[in-house]
Amino acid sequence: MLEIKNLHAVVEGEDIEILKGVNLKVNAGEIHAIMGPNGSGKSTLSKVVSGHPEYEVTEGEILFNGEDITELDADERAHLGLFLAFQYPVEVPGITNRTLLREAYNTIARANDREELDPLEFEDYIESKLDVIDMKDEFLNRSINTGFSGGEKKKNEIFQMAVLNPVLSFLDETDSGLDIDALKVVSDGVNKIANDENAIVMITHYQRLLNYIKPDFVHVMMDGKIIKSGDISLAEELEANGYDKMEKELALNGEAQ
Amino acid sequence: MSEVIQKDTMLSYINGEIQSNANSVAIRAINVRGKDALENTPFPTRKDEDWRFIDLNAIKKNRFTSVSYANAAEVGDISKHYLPEALNTRLVFVNGIYNEELSSISDLPNHVIVGNMSEYGDHDAVKEHLGTITNYDDDAFAPFNDAAFEDAAFIYLPEETSVEAPIHILNLFTDAEKAFYATPRLLFVGEMYSKATIIEEHIGLANNVYLNVPVTEFRLFAGAHVHHARIQRDSKQAAHVSRPIAMIDRNAEYHSYTICLGAKLFRNDPRVIQNAEEVDFTVDGLVLIDGDQIADTHSIMDHRYAHGNSHQLHKVVVNDNAHSIFNGKIFVAKDAQKIDSFQENRNLLLSDDGKVNTKPQLEIFADDVRCSHGATIGHLNDEEVFYLHSRGLTEQKSRELLVYAFALESVESMEVESVEKLLLDEVIKYTTRD
Ligand SMILES: Nc1ncnc2c1ncn2[C@@H]1O[C@H](COP(=O)(O)OP(=O)(O)OP(=O)(O)O)[C@@H](O)[C@H]1O
Ligand SMILES: [Mg+2]
Repeated sequence: MLEIKNLHAVVEGEDIEILKGVNLKVNAGEIHAIMGPNGSGKSTLSKVVSGHPEYEVTEGEILFNGEDITELDADERAHLGLFLAFQYPVEVPGITNRTLLREAYNTIARANDREELDPLEFEDYIESKLDVIDMKDEFLNRSINTGFSGGEKKKNEIFQMAVLNPVLSFLDETDSGLDIDALKVVSDGVNKIANDENAIVMITHYQRLLNYIKPDFVHVMMDGKIIKSGDISLAEELEANGYDKMEKELALNGEAQ
Repeated sequence: MSEVIQKDTMLSYINGEIQSNANSVAIRAINVRGKDALENTPFPTRKDEDWRFIDLNAIKKNRFTSVSYANAAEVGDISKHYLPEALNTRLVFVNGIYNEELSSISDLPNHVIVGNMSEYGDHDAVKEHLGTITNYDDDAFAPFNDAAFEDAAFIYLPEETSVEAPIHILNLFTDAEKAFYATPRLLFVGEMYSKATIIEEHIGLANNVYLNVPVTEFRLFAGAHVHHARIQRDSKQAAHVSRPIAMIDRNAEYHSYTICLGAKLFRNDPRVIQNAEEVDFTVDGLVLIDGDQIADTHSIMDHRYAHGNSHQLHKVVVNDNAHSIFNGKIFVAKDAQKIDSFQENRNLLLSDDGKVNTKPQLEIFADDVRCSHGATIGHLNDEEVFYLHSRGLTEQKSRELLVYAFALESVESMEVESVEKLLLDEVIKYTTRD
């Protein structure tokens, strides 16, 4: 589904290289987790994949279902089924969740030659998605993320994911800021959304999330690259020993440059 | 050797004598007063503090004629401009002249007057209040209106009377062969504990050059509550210079909202004067301009007594080469303690060539007050744009929605549903133009 090959990216207009040759392959039905220290480029990777204009791809490619999407605008990528749950969802005063989601849902439907939903149909549809994440319907009438608590913002991202039903989702530290109850609710929601046809890439610092959403693969990102991949035991190793130890071991084995 | 020095006054830009044939003694007195002031008041220049930033060429390159010599077009069918809520509470003025046929006044509560002032020239409220609160020192424009107006909207509410339907003052401007001037006038007198909503509209029906110089006077006695919306949709070639003023007594509330969409040059000097303790007033504005439009608001919130709440939110969106100017004065007199006044000017720049000047000006002589002000000038927030964009909306659509959201807050205060709808359509038209 997603194949990232030797991806290099810089901050647009500047010489700062942040992604330094990322390789990642994600198939339908899989759940991946990316872990890594602060500043290693995890958020940047998710933003580059979703088409953020702040970054420029200087080398490599991002193939989505075989098509190179590096030149596509963010909305075109969303139409293909890409979704990013932001690490820091912005507040957008004056535009309600409902307005955004109806506009987004119908725009994506139109792009895929699917039937748009009229306001009444959309109302039924969106109501049916509230349960996925145990969301109160008053949230629909509130301006996007405006005045939301940290946890509510994260929940709202997953709610949007449920409504837009993407093919591939990047969840950037969706777990941070959630208390244990919210973490369970959100994990439940994500597990309900996950199926054989879609895929999820979670970015996290904490192994705890992985107890609730079981990843098929765990990757470790450091200094703009994925330096090691494995299964859940890799997360356990990290939790026990930290990144430093892993980095040193890899250096000894000559795996990292 | 003798040299005649031609003084630069308002009259320098007017063709022919200013004539008013008003029958009413009260109106004629104001006409005379205006004429005298006009001849002695120099036309503003960039050297005047209050006119520093504004380019007055839209006025200065013309000589405006009285509408009777302008060969103005017929007004035609204007029913699409009627407000469904105000079908029987509407006064229509075409190029400043009262049009009885298009106006419709019925079903008003007893003793309420909504009509053409020339028919009420002897009414006590006209005699007592006309022209009394309009005092713009060294101003060339209010006297021009004073000198030239004949017809005027007159609204009178007796004590404890409430008019449910909004009162719609519809000022229409037609196409014409010559550039003409018009001087719409509105006098509102609300006796104690009266209540009304006034929708004052200015609509250019064509794209011609004209000069619109309205004066509105609102006198609110104790406990009167008034909601005053002013919607300026003049021709994009027109110049509009407004003097809306309100004086309000104890427990009175005056909430005004000025929406600027049209005119090449818009200059608006709203003033609210607190005339007793315990008042509440609003001087909000929404400006949406593009092309080479200029919109300049110089407001005064004049607190003269203790215990007053006042509020000003002035929102501006500038595109292309348009230019917005805001100067918001808050005056608090020496003994006017416990004033709570809030002012905010938010500017959204959509282009590189747009221009914004903003200057809050607080002159506070009391020591126990809460006055806050703030001004921001910014572009759309890139992260907000990306957020919407990443959800599947085109970048263009994302920007449109954000501009719409910015303007929305001001539109939602309208209270009259059809006016809110009309303004939302205008906002969409502004944000979605190509
Ligand atoms: N627009 C930018 N301009 C300059 N530097 C940037 C920009 N965006 C990211 N960076 C830098 O790139 C590096 C990677 O940032 P990124 O946000 O991707 O890290 P991260 O792995 O998500 O970290 P965290 O775990 O703290 O969220 C950091 O050093 C960051 O400061
Ligand atoms: Mg991050």
